Amino acid sequence: MTVFLALVSMLLYIYVIAVIEASLRTGRVNAALPLFAALALLGRESIVPRKCDRIFFETAPILLLLSALLAAAVLPLAPGLMITDLATGALFINAALAYVLVALLMAGWGPDGAYALIGGWRFLGQLLAYSMLIVMPITAVAMRASSLLTTDIVTSQAELWNIVYQPLGFVLFFIAAMALAFLPPFDLPTAQGELAGGVEAEYSGVRLAVFRFGRLALITALAAATTVLYLGGWYGPWLPAWAWSTLKLLGVASAMLVAGHYLPRIREAQLLAWAWKFGIPLALLNIFLVGVLVLVLS
Amino acid sequence: MILAQSLLVGFFGAAAVAFGVWVFRTSSMMRSALALLFSQTALGAMFLAMQTEFLGVLQIMMMATEMSIMAIFMVMFMMDPGGLGEMDMSHQKRLAIAAALVATTLSIAVVILVDWGKPTAVPPGAAQQVRELGTELLGRSMMLFETAGVTILTAMIAATAIAVDGRPYGKQKPAAAAMNQQHKPPLDEEAQS
Amino acid sequence: MISGARAYTDNGVRRWLARAMARDLGTLVVPGLEIARLHGLDVGAAGLRSVASPRHASVLLVVGALPPALCQAAAVLYAQMMRPRIVLALGDEPLSPLPSADIRLGLSQRELLEGVRQLRVLLADGAFQTTAIDFEPAILSTRTEYTCPMHADVIRDEPGTCPRCGMTLIPREAQHDDHTGMDHAAMGHGQPEHKESTDHAHAEAHVRPESTDEDHAGMDHAAMSHGQPEHKDSAEHAHADKQHGDDHSDDHGQMNHDDMDMDFMSMVEVTRDLPRGSDGLQMDWLEVPFGPLFPGLPGGLTLTLTLDGDNVARAQASAPVGIEQARLTEPDEVATFVERISQTDRLAPLAYRLLVYRALENAANAVLDANSIRGRVGALERERICSHLGWLAQFGQQIGFGWLARRAAVLQLAARNADVRKLQQLRPQLVALTQRLQRTPLLKQRLRGIGVLMDDGGLRGPVARAAGAYDDLRLQEPAYQDLNFETVVRPHGDALERLRIRLAELTNSAMLIDAVGVIDASSTFAHMEAFHHLSGSGQASIETPRGAASLQMTLDQGRVISARLDTPSTRHLPRVASLIEQCELGDALTAVASLDLSPWEVMQ
Repeated sequence: MTVFLALVSMLLYIYVIAVIEASLRTGRVNAALPLFAALALLGRESIVPRKCDRIFFETAPILLLLSALLAAAVLPLAPGLMITDLATGALFINAALAYVLVALLMAGWGPDGAYALIGGWRFLGQLLAYSMLIVMPITAVAMRASSLLTTDIVTSQAELWNIVYQPLGFVLFFIAAMALAFLPPFDLPTAQGELAGGVEAEYSGVRLAVFRFGRLALITALAAATTVLYLGGWYGPWLPAWAWSTLKLLGVASAMLVAGHYLPRIREAQLLAWAWKFGIPLALLNIFLVGVLVLVLS
Repeated sequence: MILAQSLLVGFFGAAAVAFGVWVFRTSSMMRSALALLFSQTALGAMFLAMQTEFLGVLQIMMMATEMSIMAIFMVMFMMDPGGLGEMDMSHQKRLAIAAALVATTLSIAVVILVDWGKPTAVPPGAAQQVRELGTELLGRSMMLFETAGVTILTAMIAATAIAVDGRPYGKQKPAAAAMNQQHKPPLDEEAQS
Repeated sequence: MISGARAYTDNGVRRWLARAMARDLGTLVVPGLEIARLHGLDVGAAGLRSVASPRHASVLLVVGALPPALCQAAAVLYAQMMRPRIVLALGDEPLSPLPSADIRLGLSQRELLEGVRQLRVLLADGAFQTTAIDFEPAILSTRTEYTCPMHADVIRDEPGTCPRCGMTLIPREAQHDDHTGMDHAAMGHGQPEHKESTDHAHAEAHVRPESTDEDHAGMDHAAMSHGQPEHKDSAEHAHADKQHGDDHSDDHGQMNHDDMDMDFMSMVEVTRDLPRGSDGLQMDWLEVPFGPLFPGLPGGLTLTLTLDGDNVARAQASAPVGIEQARLTEPDEVATFVERISQTDRLAPLAYRLLVYRALENAANAVLDANSIRGRVGALERERICSHLGWLAQFGQQIGFGWLARRAAVLQLAARNADVRKLQQLRPQLVALTQRLQRTPLLKQRLRGIGVLMDDGGLRGPVARAAGAYDDLRLQEPAYQDLNFETVVRPHGDALERLRIRLAELTNSAMLIDAVGVIDASSTFAHMEAFHHLSGSGQASIETPRGAASLQMTLDQGRVISARLDTPSTRHLPRVASLIEQCELGDALTAVASLDLSPWEVMQ
């Protein structure tokens, strides 16, 4: 039952995020647009490039969706409302998200297309740099909670949310999450003006629908992770637990989407340089600061 | 329960072997690299089935990025998008067969000859395992792991240094060269005349 | 019945899906959004969603006339679009080899709206047709030929053995013979070609015309055959096709095929014959076409980049829609000549019309009254505003800045036919846009140091002014001197400076229009009869939005007997290659986009 509830709420979040994304693109709010877009893709031809690695081409969208859903599976929306509470939850998020990279590599290399290929390997550099900035802030969060259980992480924030306790970690995680979901301004693997869709460029019809759905699920999972790790999960006055989770999750997702709309795409060289030169030292500093805080406050 | 667990271990073990075979049966380096990845992922799943959660998740996580890096080097050297080429993944066949036979014999010998002791009645819970692993890493095994870590880091830096040495200097990218000229106008400069 | 229907029987569920499809119209605009906007078309407001990849599109919107090169490129794109697909053409020019337009209307926003309405009806009713026919123009067809893995010059139409070494010939795809020398891959969304040492002579173009419709929905197998046989066997063919593999093994010393047991497969060996990049690493190079219908570049511009990783190792820029100098300026009646020159550049038509009239007036020693001159200044400056805004919109699209792309497009559409009063109202918005861009994070980091071109006398217009040159013909014109016009110049010559120059010119031009108080060029054009018996020669030049263009013409009894045209993009295009070589791909494209090239005005 909880699994079913968790999946349904996940679907609802994905839909709302799709609506937000579509309205940013068209400039008009239209709640039915993603529905029509999805149905239309189901009715359209799903082209397989004549020369392609069929297995990779078919697997990539499904793997993308799967890794996003697996990451979301360990994130509680309310006490008990999650698919599974793993003892290694915080680590499991990383493990699941690492397969986003594999999915995009497959999508890039599978079809015999140059734009997709370049998109795929651009993402490799991007993910390697930014997955560090996912893992290291999570380490600091787990340090405070003294546990890798995501529910423990939420309850550790009952008095003070992590966004206040470790703001540096939050900023790094938020940026890295955007880069991981290849949202603008980090949309290098799909860059429209540079690669005409990149890794997405060869997909059409139902396969494209799965790819886009997987991407939206990824955004949802990362917004849920931000909520759980930094924004106190379900905690909040007056409203019920699930309502707080929903509000925070959608707030984070909108912030990610809106930020990209008002920024130009980042240069690849800078994307990498900033992650390695500034991001990682700052993440280490964050771990150190949190360590000191944990020692002092306990 | 124990039957289900055994079945799962067997299933993932078979998957790991199957993907391992695929590494050499395919015709492109990219496919080969990813087959190796899924072989390793299946190993991670075996760990999970054997209730060693931390190790399993760690294995699944680390292999994804490691094998992807390997795959991308393959792609850079020989793009072959879509895997249309017909490259043979096997080489030095006689040596390989000999090595495989020796390794198999050794592993079977180890399985049979080693005294594995009595099975633990109840394995510690996953959270307990994480805690114990942490204590182990920061206790008895600290020296070992730190040494290994630093050695790997040294090796990486050395490898990079060797690779950079042969690079022709002075042939900078125009964009980078221009950046280095430091002719940065003040940030708040007005674009208006 | 639409030309690109899917070959399925219509049933309830499909009808329902078709109605959803009619609500979501991914559109590929040919030659490009910039041309659509110049004709006052707001594609987004009409309910079309502009997409970057043909795979994501189901509507092909053709705006105005297409030169033959673009027709063929568009046909390649059309073949890659998802069925059901539909062609909406605005204008009445022929589209071959594209299928004839499903809907054909005039070139205006009103008719675009009407077109979209009709298109929705057509899609909802005709998306699934059992009688659907396939799109198989000759330019897309490929045939299989057989070649020897050892002797690349042995090519046969039939399978067999090599006459020289007796090896079995291997199949590979070849282009259609009728189109030798025409590289399909270069048509935009082509596939990579492996850049390797030897057999580039028969570099196969991997165009994927139609591809497998994979929905094996079961019921209508007869209908499935509507184009599928080719794909079916090509799917198998792809695996049997040893072309790629042999490319490699041929060039890399046969190690995979012959020396299997002999030596260790080392990377050194695999990469032995690969080209060496500037970083000293030997990697596989990839030749990738960008254009002529690439979303981040103006329609008609083609870049062929040889990529070493994502670094541009070699570049080649061309403008297949450009005009041959000889054709453009061949002797003709003065009226036809004027029209021809005026239509040179689809991105700045008025500037060229002004140019040819000026030349004619010079030849005739005609003197314009002050009012007409002011009207022309106003009209030219308005075109400059529109052109710069159009560039901003496209640049925004190129650098992935969604807000800028939309904002600039909205302003451009508003400024297109605006009168003086309306432009006055627009001015605060132009200033606000400029200030907004000053404050945008990441923008300066994105553009600084990119595409540096320093002035050496060969640059024109904003590109020259961004490199510190006072290159502006308006400085010499009395009409502008009376207005105390001063040009904006900046020192560093990179993409950021070009952006700043154009932003500054937006407000400057708005101020100029304000000062002259009138926008009217058309009434100042003398009737053609005035030039009917004109003899003599005339020379004129004008500061178009992209820089100085000049025209030198000689007339004899109302006939143009010789002429020479010089345009700014003709001077800038040859510099593209050296500008972007050894740049990262994204930086390279940004650098090209920042030049604001107009492929239409390029002289071949």
